Amino acid sequence: MFKKLFKRDKSQKKSPSENSLPDLFRFKYSCFKMLLDSNSEFLNVITDLEEKLCGEQVFGMSYVRTRSAKAVFHALRMIKNLDDISGHRYSRLFEVLENIDLKIKEILNRKKEVSISELILPYSEINAEMIDWVGGKNANLGEIESRIGLPIPEGFAITTKAFESFLFSTDLFDKVSKKKMEIDPDDPDTVKKISDDIRELIISADVPPAIEEAIMLAYAKLADKTAYGKSPGTFMRVSMRSSAIGEDSELSFAGQYLSKLNVPQEQLITTYKEILASLYTPSAIAYRLNKGIRDEDIAMSVACIQMVESVASGVMYSRNPLNILEDNIIITAVWGLGPYAVDGVITPDVYTVGKDGRTLSSEISRKTVQLISKPEGGLTEIPVADDLVEKPSLSAENIAVLAGYARKLEEHYGCPQDIEWALDRNGTLFILQSRPLRAEDAGKRYPASPVLPGYPLLIEKGVTVSGGIGFGPAFHVSSEDDLLKFPDGAVLVARHSSPKIAMVMKKTRAIITDKGNIAGHMATLAREFAIPTIVSTDVATSVIPAGMEVTVDAYSGRVYQGKVHELEVFQKTGGFPMKETPVYRILREISDWIVPLYLLDPASPDFAPSSCRTLHDISRLVHEFSYTEMFKLSDFISDKKGMAFKLKVNIPLDLYVIDLGSGVTEKNINLNSISPDNITSVPLKALLNGLMNRDFQQNQCRPVEFKGFLSVMREQMLSPPSAAERFGDRSYAIISDKYLNFSSRVGYHYSVIDSYCSRTVNMNYISFSFKGGAADDIRKNRRVRAIARILQSLDFTTEVSGDRINARYQKHELHLMEEKLDFVGRLLQFTRQMDMLMINEASIEILAKNFLEGNYNLEKIIACN
Amino acid sequence: MEKADTQIIRLLLVDDEEDFRTTLANRLKRRNLDVTDAGSGEEAIEIIGKKSFDVAIIDIKMPGIDGIETLKRVKKIDPHIEVILLTGHASIEAGIEGIKSGAYDYVIKPCTVNDLMVKVEDAFRRGMIEKGHAQGKE
Repeated sequence: MFKKLFKRDKSQKKSPSENSLPDLFRFKYSCFKMLLDSNSEFLNVITDLEEKLCGEQVFGMSYVRTRSAKAVFHALRMIKNLDDISGHRYSRLFEVLENIDLKIKEILNRKKEVSISELILPYSEINAEMIDWVGGKNANLGEIESRIGLPIPEGFAITTKAFESFLFSTDLFDKVSKKKMEIDPDDPDTVKKISDDIRELIISADVPPAIEEAIMLAYAKLADKTAYGKSPGTFMRVSMRSSAIGEDSELSFAGQYLSKLNVPQEQLITTYKEILASLYTPSAIAYRLNKGIRDEDIAMSVACIQMVESVASGVMYSRNPLNILEDNIIITAVWGLGPYAVDGVITPDVYTVGKDGRTLSSEISRKTVQLISKPEGGLTEIPVADDLVEKPSLSAENIAVLAGYARKLEEHYGCPQDIEWALDRNGTLFILQSRPLRAEDAGKRYPASPVLPGYPLLIEKGVTVSGGIGFGPAFHVSSEDDLLKFPDGAVLVARHSSPKIAMVMKKTRAIITDKGNIAGHMATLAREFAIPTIVSTDVATSVIPAGMEVTVDAYSGRVYQGKVHELEVFQKTGGFPMKETPVYRILREISDWIVPLYLLDPASPDFAPSSCRTLHDISRLVHEFSYTEMFKLSDFISDKKGMAFKLKVNIPLDLYVIDLGSGVTEKNINLNSISPDNITSVPLKALLNGLMNRDFQQNQCRPVEFKGFLSVMREQMLSPPSAAERFGDRSYAIISDKYLNFSSRVGYHYSVIDSYCSRTVNMNYISFSFKGGAADDIRKNRRVRAIARILQSLDFTTEVSGDRINARYQKHELHLMEEKLDFVGRLLQFTRQMDMLMINEASIEILAKNFLEGNYNLEKIIACN
Repeated sequence: MEKADTQIIRLLLVDDEEDFRTTLANRLKRRNLDVTDAGSGEEAIEIIGKKSFDVAIIDIKMPGIDGIETLKRVKKIDPHIEVILLTGHASIEAGIEGIKSGAYDYVIKPCTVNDLMVKVEDAFRRGMIEKGHAQGKE
């Protein structure tokens, strides 16, 4: 394209530097995109750190290290790209970063991480803080033994150190990563194939002798401790369970990794490898690809626990999940191994025990079959001996012991527990697992608790989306403005469920809506955030006045007026267990160098590399400067004859088009100008459709009735632009057939649209950034909020900070991409005059509403309001 | 987008794992790159002494001298080679170290050959522009 242009424009002498201009654009744009990409990655780290700083989520030192390294990396990558774009005028920033990086390293090194060298750890040496080395399941079992002092079966954890040395010494990490490169994200079959290959790689690799010996030795010690080693002809079996660490894996991916019961000695090593390989099942790979979790962030520890030849086993709740108001312990029990108590294969015996240890009731069922270990490994079902079928599976003494365990566990963890237990032949009762009781799971199986007397019942029956109890003053939300004003600790009441409610998820104690869907996006988020949520109440907004204090019982789908004391125990306690730990304090200190933003005003003389105190400052500065550099580049282009086409178009827009390839047809091109018909770039065409929308053109010369303030405004609009505004009313579109980077500057407004539109849905995106404006700060902020409101309604995800908005729409079908770009074009036209109208908070709502309804006539909009 | 230039990009691919290296080399050749491959950092350095390259893709984890060290030595021999570091499971610290040592970028696997190709072209353009800068100063 460019070469042809040069040929046509014979009058112009070619110089080598001009010849390389197209490459220069493309290079600088690739830098700019890398910079923006790192900017958003960086902001994700900030958000993540801020969440962890709340102290509610558990994390270890490996989290602190990877996150701070990630922040440094992306800040560095941003600087490097700005430096490249600007022809190395920002090298000073490297030093600034280096200094902050040193401070961070100092803090990290001050508490040298005790990176364990043990391949194996017995439970007596494990506690909950060792989650990085042994995973959640093991850490929890260790805590029960070493800190609560309750019996768990003998066993040990094969640590993540063993995992790492296995994968590193055999080069598996690298082999696996290379395999993963063959995955085509668009083709699920490749995921399946690569999964098979990777698992085969792991299973066929040799476990290093040191690890094998350590496992076998630990096993031998275990056998020695238990009766098995001593009586000939008996062999100890173990259960081997995955205990993974890594982002989300415990939470959202529980149960997906392999666990095996009744593993004989000769299969220990193979089973170990099988469990590690289960990190690479197709669903696990797909899950991580989706969530953007890197392999670096995951590790697998394995729990190796003596198989209890249980006479009886079952599940116990430290509080009645059938009726959460009843503070009694419920114990279920079957003969043989535990799975039958959980799977519902047979009806278990059910014992109800008071917290004081008295048995309140026992329901003994007919237990005809039981599950036992097979001598050769694996499990099998056998009939229960005739005389035991109808006998209670637990003695009174057993029940009292178990109830004691339940009390201790609930006390230690500070919330009701769901406990798995087993009784061995010697009459010892073991805890196999303990986790917080999730009453909503139970709620599905059992009828709801009875209505509580003594409190006005506002809503009798809604559909539970996410269980739990929440108390607080009602706050009605009907617009996004309401969301912005949403107070901490309130109960959200709305007509519809909406994903936008996610904005306030952290502040809300409960959500109640008139209409809504249990499968919607908001529902998923509510469950993720564990917010008690009821939808489809039909009447919530009419029966609950704003400000009224209500208790939401989302287990039963009810709302009471006032505070229901009986339900208080199930409210989120608000305890922040992490805040007391040394790991938390280190994160706090490191965050001081990463998270705060001091450089707020680009116009201030302090807005300079030497004033950067945090990584956030650096990223803000680099981001700001990168736009300036890109605009400089655009000006440079437009100054070169023949480098850019002027687009002749019947709208007040001074647009220059730079084609990187196949974005323009060459039919009827005049020397330096083209018409919209010449544009073949899919995204630019769509955007132009919006920009040239006829409704705007009709607006322009329509006589309008003015009300008082409008005339003042009109005067402002007509007054001559300031020097700064005159300077650059130019817009630039850098295009190819599928690509568009559109930057425009109107006065102080910057807006940049970057988009790729193709038939490959996964690659499609629109990113829209808008910044600045001649109005005062409040108006600027109102304007970006109005833009955000509009873009959200168009299904963009948005981020507003100060006078800047970043919005993104991605991975949608081509026709949807085109439709959205059309709207973005209209929105750009709409915003050209918008800040003049941002006279009060209500204008946000009014302008957004009118835009979405297709009323683009701003003057008329104001005249009507 | 169109290819960076009609000029053929001379690429050096350094990776110790033969299967992976040859597959990737073939795929990149099919996209009209002039690809030379090396099975180790040592070999790469030897080759660079004899032939000029525009871009090098270097795997971080290799036996012998590792990717970061290879990068540093390559840059010493020819500062105009743009280096893309490729890595599966290396710490992000290696990425920081790499960029500080003059790598163009750091690509975390898995990535598609398409993505890699775009990176190679961008790196190539950077090389051209940086060379222009250097010549301008001379």
